Amino acid sequence: MQTADETFETDVLIIGGGVTGTGVMRDLALRGINCILIDQRDLNAGASGGNHGLLHSGGRYASSDTETAAECRLEGEILKRVAPDAIDECGGLFVAVEGDDPEFAGRFGEHCDVAGIPCHQLTTKEAREQEPGLSKRVFAAYSVPDGTVDPFRITVANVDHARQLTDSLYLPHTRLQGFEMEDGVVVSANCRDSRTGNRRSIRARQVINAGGAWAMEVARLAGCSDVNLLYSKGTLIISNTRVTKGVINRLRPPGDGDILVPGGTVSLLGTTSDTVTSLDDIRPTVAEVDRNLAEGMMMLPGLENTRFIRAFSGVRPLIREAANSDDGRHASRGFSLFDHEGEGLSNFATVTGGKLTTFRLMAEKAGDLVARRLGNPELCKTAVEPLPSSDVVRWTEPGFAPRYWYRRNDPADIILCECEMVPQSAVDDIVTSAPGAEHQMSLQAIGVRSRIGKGSCQGSFCSINTTSHLYDRGIYDSIDGLLHARDFVQGRFKGVGPILWGEQMPQMELAEALHCSLMGLDYLGQSERVEKEAGSGQSE
Amino acid sequence: MPATSELLPIAPIDFKAKADELLPEGASYDSCLNCGLCSSGCPASGLEGMDPRRFIRMAMLGMNEELSNTRWIWTCTQCRRCMYVCPMSIDVSVLVGLARGQWPDEKKPQGIVRSCDAQLRFSSTSAMGLRTEDFIEIVEEIADEVKESDERFNDLEAPIDKQGAYFFINQNSREPAVEPEELAPLWKIFHYVGADWTYASKGWAAENFCMFAGDDAAWETMVRQRVDAVNELGCKVWVNTECGHSFYTLWKGIDKFGLDAHFEPGSLITYYAQWIREGKLPVNADWNTMGLKFTLQDPCQLVRKSIGDPVADDLRFVARALVGEDNFVDMQPCRSANYCCGGGGGFLQAGMNEQRRAYGKRKFDQIMTTQADYVLTPCHNCHSQMEDIGEHYDGHYRVVHYWTLICLSLGILGENERKYLGPELMDL
Amino acid sequence: MTTKPRVYQTQLAVIGSGLAGFAAAVFALDKGISTAQVGNTGAIAYTTGYLDLLGGCGEQLLEDPWEGLKQLRNDEPRHPLSRVSDGEIQEAFSLFTRALSDMGINYTKPGERNLFALSPAGTTKPTLSVPETMITGVTAKDSGARTLILDFVGLKGFSALELVSNLRKSWPGLTAKRLEFPGMTTGAQLYPEVMARALEVESTRRQLAEMIRHELGDAECVGMPAIMGIHLPDRVHADLQRMVGVPLFEIPTMPPAVPGIRLREMFEQTFPALGLILVPQQKVKNVDLGEAGTVLSLKDSYGDVVIETRAVLLATGRFLSGGLHADRFSIRESLLGIPVTQPEDRAGWYRKDYFDHRGHPVNRAGIEVDELFRPLDASGVPINEGLFAAGILLAHQDWMRQRCGAGVAIASAYKAVEALSGYLS
Repeated sequence: MQTADETFETDVLIIGGGVTGTGVMRDLALRGINCILIDQRDLNAGASGGNHGLLHSGGRYASSDTETAAECRLEGEILKRVAPDAIDECGGLFVAVEGDDPEFAGRFGEHCDVAGIPCHQLTTKEAREQEPGLSKRVFAAYSVPDGTVDPFRITVANVDHARQLTDSLYLPHTRLQGFEMEDGVVVSANCRDSRTGNRRSIRARQVINAGGAWAMEVARLAGCSDVNLLYSKGTLIISNTRVTKGVINRLRPPGDGDILVPGGTVSLLGTTSDTVTSLDDIRPTVAEVDRNLAEGMMMLPGLENTRFIRAFSGVRPLIREAANSDDGRHASRGFSLFDHEGEGLSNFATVTGGKLTTFRLMAEKAGDLVARRLGNPELCKTAVEPLPSSDVVRWTEPGFAPRYWYRRNDPADIILCECEMVPQSAVDDIVTSAPGAEHQMSLQAIGVRSRIGKGSCQGSFCSINTTSHLYDRGIYDSIDGLLHARDFVQGRFKGVGPILWGEQMPQMELAEALHCSLMGLDYLGQSERVEKEAGSGQSE
Repeated sequence: MPATSELLPIAPIDFKAKADELLPEGASYDSCLNCGLCSSGCPASGLEGMDPRRFIRMAMLGMNEELSNTRWIWTCTQCRRCMYVCPMSIDVSVLVGLARGQWPDEKKPQGIVRSCDAQLRFSSTSAMGLRTEDFIEIVEEIADEVKESDERFNDLEAPIDKQGAYFFINQNSREPAVEPEELAPLWKIFHYVGADWTYASKGWAAENFCMFAGDDAAWETMVRQRVDAVNELGCKVWVNTECGHSFYTLWKGIDKFGLDAHFEPGSLITYYAQWIREGKLPVNADWNTMGLKFTLQDPCQLVRKSIGDPVADDLRFVARALVGEDNFVDMQPCRSANYCCGGGGGFLQAGMNEQRRAYGKRKFDQIMTTQADYVLTPCHNCHSQMEDIGEHYDGHYRVVHYWTLICLSLGILGENERKYLGPELMDL
Repeated sequence: MTTKPRVYQTQLAVIGSGLAGFAAAVFALDKGISTAQVGNTGAIAYTTGYLDLLGGCGEQLLEDPWEGLKQLRNDEPRHPLSRVSDGEIQEAFSLFTRALSDMGINYTKPGERNLFALSPAGTTKPTLSVPETMITGVTAKDSGARTLILDFVGLKGFSALELVSNLRKSWPGLTAKRLEFPGMTTGAQLYPEVMARALEVESTRRQLAEMIRHELGDAECVGMPAIMGIHLPDRVHADLQRMVGVPLFEIPTMPPAVPGIRLREMFEQTFPALGLILVPQQKVKNVDLGEAGTVLSLKDSYGDVVIETRAVLLATGRFLSGGLHADRFSIRESLLGIPVTQPEDRAGWYRKDYFDHRGHPVNRAGIEVDELFRPLDASGVPINEGLFAAGILLAHQDWMRQRCGAGVAIASAYKAVEALSGYLS
């Protein structure tokens, strides 16, 4: 057993800081249970941050999977009740475009009825009145109660609430390296802080693996081979402004670019589905972007001239069942809870699969299992207990920061991110009180917990402004601040590269001029070396 | 900051949609790079917590309520400097004008509304409510005075409704209403060069506050009355009495509202320059034995928003001829890049003195840097604003019209026409 | 109502108001060529004010740009700088910096070695010539002088603590201090441009100097953001320095920054006085290339402008300045549709790693020119005998990564003006 630099002890260790992991954390905290949540990166770094943010009415699954469709509808209704601040009940349309199967379109209403989804057929004229950007080639349209949900808001709020309820702890950048096992029991997890290199040992009575796409790898570290996942990579693109009022779905079997979802002040178009075999280096490609756009333009021709500011990819963990094909589109979108008792383990469980809309239900099922195993008699409360909404969790909401700043009317509260109008008071708030800030807060972590870097300049200016502010606040006193700024813009670029054309091109050129030519982030630490060498050369 | 009365709701505009509709392709809000050059170069930045970049960003973020209600739109003088320095040429002033129009009259700054109302009320189109009969009486009275007091001008004319005159003169109401003796210098110049000109009994006033009120219909009514008046008299050229927005509203209005004008709008400055070049106005700087230093203010409405550098060149040519090459100092920046002084856009009439003076601080600094004794400007609003900020910030400069210096140089400036000159020039 | 178009006749029309366009105008006026300049400003507004020749080469920052050029001519023969000799580059830089000094901004003499000039982050940048107001920062750093770095309440993106934190290792005698700018003490956001204009007023300088003296301690010199005036900065700098009593220097800030505004305003103010016809901030709508001459059509707020010229120099820059435009499929030259050398498809424009030292292939896209800097058509033939091009619109260079923006602009403008001068005579 390796010696640890830091040791922690808790009732339940949760692995994976996505919606599910944080959902489990809050679920358990509401039952009075103390947890430690770890993530190899930070909140929503996987599929929880890499999706549409669509709160499914269930319509999407009505034609193929009535059970999932009904589950979506029920969970959607619960979330609207308990987390109204994280949800935009914008409504949605399903539209069929010339060339789509009229028979499929014709049966949609019927399928929705079976799943209990309220659905109204619209004339194409009515549909275009509702969404003027719709193509003239739309021939069938239905309205459904689709909505959107801010997954960042959900995760940050989950963690924040759990912290308040039971002093539960969240440790970002904590990479799981292995488990200590004794007699069919996981005793502790060996981790490494990927920023400091410190070894962390976490002792826990129960372990929940909510690693999303990484859940199979985590399970294998515990010797379990019963988790079998198919990795389905999906890519989406984000527009500079909101394109439609509500969600627009293509009324046909799922395909690329068939859903456009408003995300507050922007819109998200996606998604592709490609099976991948590795979770390394997941990034959007030009081809994926173009596929989304080509399909999206069939529903909304204006997308041709829309300014896009970023693309991103997530990997859906799909539960592979023996008879399933390798095609992600047809694999189950349902979730699974593995108790691993068949593998001889009594305090380890894995919850994976599923979707954003059903994360609460997944967390409930996992919570029930853990509570039972711990002998905790409390029932799940997440279906009735509202998700608290303090300012510190609200910075992820598009448009919140500018309204807050405008109302506050303090001229000395300088705006650090001009695109999303995030003032320094917001950054200070995040640095001092946001979950995960217990250790050093980096620019990237602030980005996850706010809108910084998410606007049209994609971090060109705010990376520099915010970094300077953090030096001023004493958060940084070494080159770390610049290294973090560099990592931050490098991270943003991953998604920016594939959507660079049109109006985003000059923005990118300006960004590169700033980051390289002005700030020298591309040769960080090198200019001093060259100079020193040159200096010594001259003195010899 | 959003100090707005709760009584009357302002119907919000969809600013982003309007920007897409009204601005040229490639220069709409969607093209904004967020670089901040607009705000850096805007004297209204920081007022009411706003600046041009924020205006654009808030539009993009859908903050239509806030934008519809912010009083900042009344501190932006619509001078279009933001557009001038923007690499993407985005014009913020267009939607500022639209937002102004959306405010109910009761809520708008009352000074602007009253001025526009007064213009609409009488055929004089005077914002100061001066009626035509009074105007004619004042003109006749002053003309008689000039004829009597200076024999060189005993055949001076100040005609009204002279059919077929070459120049149609729109007169700013300030002179006849408040300082009638200031009418005469320009007449003397016309007399000196032998210009064929006339006032009119209809639409004779130059100012146009209806545009600043965001009331396009009233703006059109105003311009239409004046265009009809010029057309009726069959004049060739319309000019006004050294006034910036008056030129812009007429020149732009003709185009914007598709009016049929049988004449050409011109600027007096162009004609001053032309007459000097032709030798008709043999001005020189011999009078400036004290080496008094002069700078000049390029009115945004005349230079950046209308004629551009050709008129900026003429302004300098005339100024240098009048005060001497060595005694002329340009403000920096100047010409089309000049800052608005804060007198435009109806700001002077809006009753927002604190904001207006904060805005004017930049102009004040510019003037102080030149160390000039006098600021020349061909715009009444610029004139008043620069006087006010000079007094407010304790600057020791004076503001003068071109006509005053022209007459001074030609030795034809009457003793009672020296209101804006310092004691050192009283007896010259 | 239509206004009559204003018509100008010149020997040369420079399209573009960036560094290359301005340099070309300087060189042309120097040769007595009657010149008009049009086009709105793009990237120049964002410059540090430093004049880079060549500072980056693959994995390395360059201490000796001339050595770097040798290497470049060998490795990248099609690079615009590879087409200009050392002697010509020296001549171009010295002509240009002399002209800048005459117009009101003094620059250091371009020398044998790159200067490592300060960035607002506390990193340094290899460059050939810097404004006089900034040179003390380079020398103080080299000598390790005890230096006080100032920043200001309300000026975001510029932190003295950040500079000190990142420079401390190599420059131990650094301290940081934050001041309130005289007369601007509400804590609200300040723009360098506004502060710089305020410092043109003597009384503001006096107040600031007093505050600096108060904080000086044993510092031997003082660095601060670039705010020492827009117009005639050397005068503001000298005066402040005299009042404070120790050498002062400026450090560039984030855009919108003063050095770029200074250059743009200086050109706009001084060129017309030198007889240049300047139609500022207007994009050219149409170019009619002819055998005997070219007609440019523009529109400004007043109406149509027509420029009849014998030669045209295209210096329209890249995407930021509008010289190049990208759609989803390809990159084109915006004004004349000149063929653009570019990667085969969009997937080839950018590398995976933002900071890959090889730079992104799209940065090297641009138009091809012959040895006389005349743009070439698809078959490699000059498009028009009287059409020339200069600046970063040219292919085969990466001005951002190679730190060669000013170098490419000035050297290619020099060569192009040499060539067109021959054409005109």
